[in-house]
Amino acid sequence: MIPLLILSPLILLAALGAVWKARPVHAALLLALTLALVAVLYLTIGAEFIGLIQFMVYIGGVAILIVFALLITRPGDEAAELDRRPRSLGVGLACVLPVLGLLLFAFSKDLPTSSAVEANPALPVQALGRELFENSVPAVLAVGVLLTAVLIGAALFARETGDKPEPPASR
Amino acid sequence: MRLPALIGLLTGVLTSSGWAAGTRPPMLTGEALPLLPQHLVEFVLEAVGAPAWLVALGSFAAAAGTVVGVFLSAFALLSLIERKTLARIQNRLGPNRAGIFGILQPVADGIKMLTKEDIVPSKAEWFLHLLAPILIVLPSILALGVIPYGREWNPVPLELGLVFFFAVGTMTEVAVFIAGWASGSKFPMLGAMRAISQMVSYELPLIISALSVVMLSGTLSLAGIVANQAGYHLGFIPAWNILTPWGFVAGIVFAIAANAESNRCPFDLPEGESEIVAGHMTEYSGFKYALFFMGEYLGLFAISGLGITLFLGGWQAPLPGLDFVPSWIWFFGKLAVVIFVFLWVRGTFPRVRIDQLMRFAWLCLIPIALLTLPVAALWKFSGEGALGWLLCSAVLVVPFIIITVIFNRRMAPAIRTYHYAE
Repeated sequence: MIPLLILSPLILLAALGAVWKARPVHAALLLALTLALVAVLYLTIGAEFIGLIQFMVYIGGVAILIVFALLITRPGDEAAELDRRPRSLGVGLACVLPVLGLLLFAFSKDLPTSSAVEANPALPVQALGRELFENSVPAVLAVGVLLTAVLIGAALFARETGDKPEPPASR
Repeated sequence: MRLPALIGLLTGVLTSSGWAAGTRPPMLTGEALPLLPQHLVEFVLEAVGAPAWLVALGSFAAAAGTVVGVFLSAFALLSLIERKTLARIQNRLGPNRAGIFGILQPVADGIKMLTKEDIVPSKAEWFLHLLAPILIVLPSILALGVIPYGREWNPVPLELGLVFFFAVGTMTEVAVFIAGWASGSKFPMLGAMRAISQMVSYELPLIISALSVVMLSGTLSLAGIVANQAGYHLGFIPAWNILTPWGFVAGIVFAIAANAESNRCPFDLPEGESEIVAGHMTEYSGFKYALFFMGEYLGLFAISGLGITLFLGGWQAPLPGLDFVPSWIWFFGKLAVVIFVFLWVRGTFPRVRIDQLMRFAWLCLIPIALLTLPVAALWKFSGEGALGWLLCSAVLVVPFIIITVIFNRRMAPAIRTYHYAE
């Protein structure tokens, strides 16, 4: 309980910072901090595997991808970004509120009691692997196919179309 | 005045540990020697009557302090040995002014680094500029904590040791990005872009080649992987993973990828002194600059230690009759050999070009690393004997020849034409 009380305000602050910062790189780094703190939260409740994988995938993969995308694209105008802020805030709230409502509804219906948590101690990794790759193989395969499709789609989008600009003739 | 109290404490330690009574306490055997600081802190805290949580904390701090102390001294030593070895390879003398054979050179370097002016460029973001060197050192030290150094010396015996190692390793990429971006300058930015693209590309073969070991060991715990390599074939050939067909290939892929992950020559493009000054470290000076080097060398120790754990049998002795030598001595002996090979490679190969680097990772290393997974399964199901050797070698060698031929003939980068400079 104590780690939760310490971590959740930090996570909230980092997440708010990630939304609020006008500089994209700051926002991306704060997003990485948020994800890292969530990973720490997982570690403190004993879900070591998911915490470490969260760290590996979201810090090493997603955050790096975002900063790389920032590096190779042109930086936007910060003043324009600040002008857009009221509208962004409205859109953001409109997106968040239904999710929040759904979560509140779900938790009011079926809040896991502490005894239920005690009854399900942390799963060993072998058991987790068996569950994933024996009982849930169709779902894992479906996710794999989906990701491959996304990858191919991204490659199609990124494909150069039209004529390449001729490089200046050497010599 | 304090001396009698100290003597009293010491006699207390010795009598209660049973040494004075004639039986050697377990903590004074060679095997458990590295655990001595930990046991001493525990004993003193318990004698003072500290609460249990404080004893646990102190014991943990002592264990961490041992690892950090050992590897920081090794870092100081390596910085000298590296310069001497490179000098020998390049037919010069190397550092020879500070002390005999330049033995005090690390001390001189340390003093020089500490007394340099700490410069923060005016365009830099001072907080991120300060954060980057700290974030570079942190993951290396964390990763050093989970490696089993000996039969008894295993600082943090995590069940998910391997996952932990790679998870904290990803922090380095973020740190390099922060260093490059927060400097507010062009060369650091270019260096960081090179470093991140290189690390992301070479992390794949690194993890895939480690995966084949996990597949056959059936555990993610590093101590379990070492225990799995115990024993000897035919009475004298150690049952290490490197001495199997899949392990041989995976080990070589791992070594190449580890070399690239720690940004060392021939993959030191991110620093590339002759091209982009010093890459992401350009705008750093003084001790922050030293921290980058500390992070690089500690990372080199950590990844070599992981390679030894995965492929070279960890702390297992190389021959049957040599078990009387404490196991951590074998580990550090192997570490010395592996580090020397890295130095040798650094002194021998020229730096590769960025397009060669990427092609090598994606067209050569990753296919071969992926190939080791089915080959490891084949090895398991063909009985791990002569038949296994025959089948696995055939399955490995044929695609290897095809890949290298394609790599050399068709995919090799054409002679580069320079459009903008002649």
